[in-house]
Amino acid sequence: MKLKELFDRGEFVISSEVGPVKGAIPRDPDFVPPCQQEAQHLNGSVHAINVTDNQSAVMKLGSLAASVRLKAKGYEPIYQITCRDRNRIALQSEILTAYSLGIDNMLLLTGDHTNLGDHKEAKPVFDLDSVQLVRIAAELQEGRDMAGNPLMFQPDMFIGAVVNPNFQPLDLQLIKMHKKVDAGAQFFQTQAVYDDRVVDEFIAKAEAFGRPIQLGVVVLKSPQMGAYMNRNVSGISVPQAWIEEIGAAAKGDRKKKAAEMTGRFIKKHKSKFQGVHIMPLGWTDIVPDILAHAEIAPPRPSAG
Amino acid sequence: MHATIQKPIEEIVNYIKPGEKVFVVGCNNCAWKCHSGGEEETTAMAERLNRRGVEVVGSTTPGQRGMSLCKLDHTRKVLREDYAEQIKKADSFLVLGCGQGVHTVIDATDGAMVHPGCDTIFGGETVSDTDINEYCSLCGECVIEFTGGLCPMTLCAKSLLNGPCGGAENGKCEVDSERDCGWILIYERLKQLGRLDLLEGYREPKNHAKWSRPRTLKVSPHEATFCSQAGKRTVSNQD
Ligand code: SF4
Ligand code: SF4
Repeated sequence: MKLKELFDRGEFVISSEVGPVKGAIPRDPDFVPPCQQEAQHLNGSVHAINVTDNQSAVMKLGSLAASVRLKAKGYEPIYQITCRDRNRIALQSEILTAYSLGIDNMLLLTGDHTNLGDHKEAKPVFDLDSVQLVRIAAELQEGRDMAGNPLMFQPDMFIGAVVNPNFQPLDLQLIKMHKKVDAGAQFFQTQAVYDDRVVDEFIAKAEAFGRPIQLGVVVLKSPQMGAYMNRNVSGISVPQAWIEEIGAAAKGDRKKKAAEMTGRFIKKHKSKFQGVHIMPLGWTDIVPDILAHAEIAPPRPSAG
Repeated sequence: MHATIQKPIEEIVNYIKPGEKVFVVGCNNCAWKCHSGGEEETTAMAERLNRRGVEVVGSTTPGQRGMSLCKLDHTRKVLREDYAEQIKKADSFLVLGCGQGVHTVIDATDGAMVHPGCDTIFGGETVSDTDINEYCSLCGECVIEFTGGLCPMTLCAKSLLNGPCGGAENGKCEVDSERDCGWILIYERLKQLGRLDLLEGYREPKNHAKWSRPRTLKVSPHEATFCSQAGKRTVSNQD
């Protein structure tokens, strides 16, 4: 199902995120790969699940294989695809392949640089940027490839893109967001945000684009994680107040505290967005609790 | 200019077979500026090789300061006329210059054995006597009219054309916290110039056929023809 249907109905769209395994999926039909295990924890709490594409440039199982597996098990994947590892031929072909394998939603990104990952000597491709990729995906849906050749059958998917509200100068990030909208982006997910002011400054300008936006939140599990993200995760900053609040909770209480903090933040801002994208970093079991704190009714279970 | 850095001496010595007689050629333009193959480094290289048991039959940095090794007719004349005797004895040439210079020596000697003595690292601006920085990646299709003269192909680690990725932090690139984000530099410059309008609008993907290698350029006082896998493009420099 395309998330478009949910946004069009005015539903508050809840998504979360899983990463494919470092390795193949065994042929044993009873084997449950980790991404599917995580999806099971999220069942009933979210509408859709992002599947990351060699995130942080760390080589893993392809996002398409994992997306197809989740789809087969009844979950709604948001297939992520980045410009880092494929040229324009491969990117277009992947989009056609994804549609042909039943994928309905995709999120198109630039991708983290190879230098951040586990194959630092790889040739970074970046043949296209994310704006160009969105445009080309939209053109494929219109029945032609980027060279102008007609397609025999065209894909039909819901096209998402990302935006980073933390980016300074924000206006430069918004110029790019504007280009993505013009290129054909149908919905947005934001990078993780923790700061009320950042949310408000961003949404005041971004809502004018008239596209559904999901607020991105990453569950802050510990003060160490906050310090680590501030040091190492590009484009995200965690305010000191968050770090202190999670640090003040006893270790055994941190899951509860994290759910409360994340839920509180979502609750405060949910009316400004059309959905939320929760990145629980393995604490998938607290997602229902987060939604409860945010006073958001979870969607009905979709899979078994 | 072409920025070069000498290869480690052990690597160079390893290229040379026992008993092989070597002639060392430097470049009095770019490699001189890089201290990788000017007159001093070329003479020194001959001595360094000698000290390591390599027989050096001669060395030169063709021409005055500012003369490029890659100017074939000049290099050929110097090697053939001024160094005819030494060259006869040489089994190979160690070139302290860029890859173009190495090829120039192949052409100038009608196909002699050559060894690269440098790594050619980029085309750069000689910002000062000590600093050479890369501002252009020689892509064959210049887009910097739209970026205030700052090259996104080069200054952005991902060569993005339509604006920054989300990864910059405190103005620095996600790839290297010591290096400015190229797109923030572009934005700040255009803002200062009052030309942020240049950032609006979609920028098409690069025509990488113009970046195909090898490429050639035919030049005359009237016109020039650039030849790549994108085809031939002739442009007049008169009208
Ligand atoms: S756009 Fe191409 S030609 Fe122009 S400065 Fe950049 S790399 Fe050089
Ligand atoms: S941080 Fe800036 S320079 Fe670095 S890859 Fe992103 S846009 Fe390019």
